Amino acid sequence: MADSTFPNPAVPIAGGAHGALDVTPPDVRKHSVLEILHSWITTVDHKKLGILYMLYGIFFLLVAGAEAIAIRIQLAVPNNHFLSPQVYNRFFTMHGTTMVFLVGMTMIFGFANYLVPLMIGARDMAFPRLNAFSFWVTAFGGLLLYYSFLGGSGLYGVGNAPDVGWFAYAPLTARAFSPGHATDYWAIALIVSGFGTVGTAINVVATALCMRCKGMTLMRMPLFVWLFVVVSGLTLVTITPLTAAQIMLLVDRYLGGHFFDTQAGGSAVAWMHFFWIFGHPEVYVLVLPAFAIANEVIPVFSRKAIFGYAAMVAASVGIAFVSLGVWAHHMFTVGMTSASNAFFTLSTMLVGIPTGIKIFNWLATMWGGRIRFATPMLFLTAFVFQFLLSGLTGIMLAVAPWNWQLHNSYFVIAHFHYVLVGAIVTAIFGGIYYWFPKATGRMLNERLGKWHFWLFTIGFHITFDVMHIPGLLGMPRSIYTYEADRGWGTLNMIVSIGGVIQGIAVLIFAYNMIVSLRSGEKAGNDPWDAWTLEWATSSPPPDYNFATDPVVSSRRPLWDLKHPEDPDWKYEA
Amino acid sequence: MNEEQHSGSHSETIHLPAPTAWPIIMAFGVMLAFAGMVTNFGISLLGIVLALSGAIGWFRQVLPHEAHEDIPVVVENIIITTTRPEVARIIVPEDDRAHLPVETYPVLSGIKGGIAGGIAMIPPAILYGLIAQHSIWYPVNLLGGAGVANWRNPSTADIAAFHWQGVLVAIVIHAITCLLVGLLYGAMLPMLPRRPILLGGILAPVLWTGLLHSTMGVVNPELDQHIAWGWFLISQVTFGLVAGWVVAHQSRIRTAQSLPFIMRMGIETPGLVRERESATENEDESR
Repeated sequence: MADSTFPNPAVPIAGGAHGALDVTPPDVRKHSVLEILHSWITTVDHKKLGILYMLYGIFFLLVAGAEAIAIRIQLAVPNNHFLSPQVYNRFFTMHGTTMVFLVGMTMIFGFANYLVPLMIGARDMAFPRLNAFSFWVTAFGGLLLYYSFLGGSGLYGVGNAPDVGWFAYAPLTARAFSPGHATDYWAIALIVSGFGTVGTAINVVATALCMRCKGMTLMRMPLFVWLFVVVSGLTLVTITPLTAAQIMLLVDRYLGGHFFDTQAGGSAVAWMHFFWIFGHPEVYVLVLPAFAIANEVIPVFSRKAIFGYAAMVAASVGIAFVSLGVWAHHMFTVGMTSASNAFFTLSTMLVGIPTGIKIFNWLATMWGGRIRFATPMLFLTAFVFQFLLSGLTGIMLAVAPWNWQLHNSYFVIAHFHYVLVGAIVTAIFGGIYYWFPKATGRMLNERLGKWHFWLFTIGFHITFDVMHIPGLLGMPRSIYTYEADRGWGTLNMIVSIGGVIQGIAVLIFAYNMIVSLRSGEKAGNDPWDAWTLEWATSSPPPDYNFATDPVVSSRRPLWDLKHPEDPDWKYEA
Repeated sequence: MNEEQHSGSHSETIHLPAPTAWPIIMAFGVMLAFAGMVTNFGISLLGIVLALSGAIGWFRQVLPHEAHEDIPVVVENIIITTTRPEVARIIVPEDDRAHLPVETYPVLSGIKGGIAGGIAMIPPAILYGLIAQHSIWYPVNLLGGAGVANWRNPSTADIAAFHWQGVLVAIVIHAITCLLVGLLYGAMLPMLPRRPILLGGILAPVLWTGLLHSTMGVVNPELDQHIAWGWFLISQVTFGLVAGWVVAHQSRIRTAQSLPFIMRMGIETPGLVRERESATENEDESR
């Protein structure tokens, strides 16, 4: 067994990493519940805030999952009245909004908060108090959104949640068509949580650019961190038009503005442009962190360095740039000019090049490696396969004439759920299995993890593979119910059964987390035999992460320590 | 986040930002300030007061000096271990680099192959015209029919007749296509190191003929009815074999694939290769 001491500052390891692994004397004093609560509420520690983000995201994942199950029960059979039409509209609006803004965004920033400082050898984020503010304002924004169930018509009226779809197209959002305050809650809640999103994005960029440990040049920075820098930059660019549009919407609704009122000289299409200039890059804001997780998990479980590091960085930046120029492929049916249709078709297809580079590089990383199919790797393998399929249907929808036939159909729903669930949620699950031991000191139960994986993956494919077919047969999205003679009944029943299977899998995951947290196998500092700096400190890490600043000389500092006879720095140009 | 060394064998403290409730108070205030828009102005007022209080408290946390807490540390040397002590690097012989060839054909070889293949596929096409329609212009017009002005649903006799516009367009299409496919052969054949003639000369034409056969009925059903796919395949294979043979018999040139990326970009990096090589040599000597 190859051993290295970490650290021994007096004896620097040639080309390797040396820093400090620390053990703080255990605090044996019992803390009261109030003390514990106070410590979490007042914390500015990036790790605690990362965990808070994750718990918040998991909570709303369960909420949005319950809404999805209710939607699927409603659609399982023709002429069903399990939900009223009004409640159905609220549920699919809240499900979409919750999954994108309260689950996806919070969980990716949970990963960023917890891991970026650890991976670059820093003690905290660049702006710890801004970090705390960002989390809490995001959290309060989400709570405000759900408060609409109680106060959507004002404190003294009957509550109702937003029911205008997660993209809230004009003129449906005008006061004439959406009376009460439900739509206002939607706009205000997202503005408020947007403050937190911008704050965290600034923090991630500043941390990654200014707080890297000695020796960690940009081209030695873990790909995970690179991806989050790109994500944060993209977030800063795209949140702006969304916030601007929401403010304009509020001006229309409260101050008699006409930005989106076509009868008064405004433009409903302008809302679509504003929303999708945010909305499509948002898909990449969500999926790039999934790539980031894949970039860490796949090499470790394949026992090989990532293939094509420089190409992966370039592809990530390329995806971000291209994603800013594809928004109107959501608007082919609006009636744009042929030149616009051609431009957005081609620009959308262009995304296939950098994403293709990534898929090939992940496959090349696995190729010839000694792959260990532990639960994290199972999820990330499924991610690669499912992301590829989602990309292929994306290319199909990028073709304007094809899109004209299938716009607003269940084919589109199946496509973007393939991206959001098949790629993003799947990768997030893999990431949680991978880093849970670091955050808690306990391993997640592997047997339960495999049950979770197989049930979730089988349920996913039953649901979303089959969901393409009713879309091809003409079933529109957001439809409340349908007649029995349309030929969609059996397919929808299958889709709903798949949804229930996924729900069971998520409950197993939640159970696994609770059980493993209480009595899981002790993880140790480096349970996966990994290579990045977060595994060079204890599990869970101490408040200060590293007692002495680490020094690195390659992209895999722990590899250098474990294999001084064959360090990476010799091979990195 | 400065470190402060204290006397004592293994102890030190680390300054970390002190916990504070002001950010959550400010966040709550911001939320209430907006929530008041849809509930009651009093709630907005309360929110503004809370947000301002939070901001002031926050400023006082960092001005004039940042509030810290001291975290005690005991440093211990920890053994970093691996369960996989042996490194097994994957050895890839240079001549096995099928997908990123270290040698390739010059661009001119592809042009030569395209010209040769384009000439070679003319006889079978003309033979087909003579046998099937008793006219050498039939295959020419199938290819160049788009250039014949005002052609709408032409009869077989029309297609078999001479049309100078059709000939002109057919020559242009034929020449450009053959040159492009020839260039593609020049680029792709080094990636098919085993049996390039079989793969590039037979398999590839069969595949694209199959692709055209399956899609032409959708793209242009009328043209599809006039094409004899057996003869089409023969002419394509003739092109593939001749172009592949010509390309494969050109002398290869070395690519820059084995050079570092930065050198391939044309950036001057004197000593880059030498430094890497010398580092490896030093390591070998130390063993």
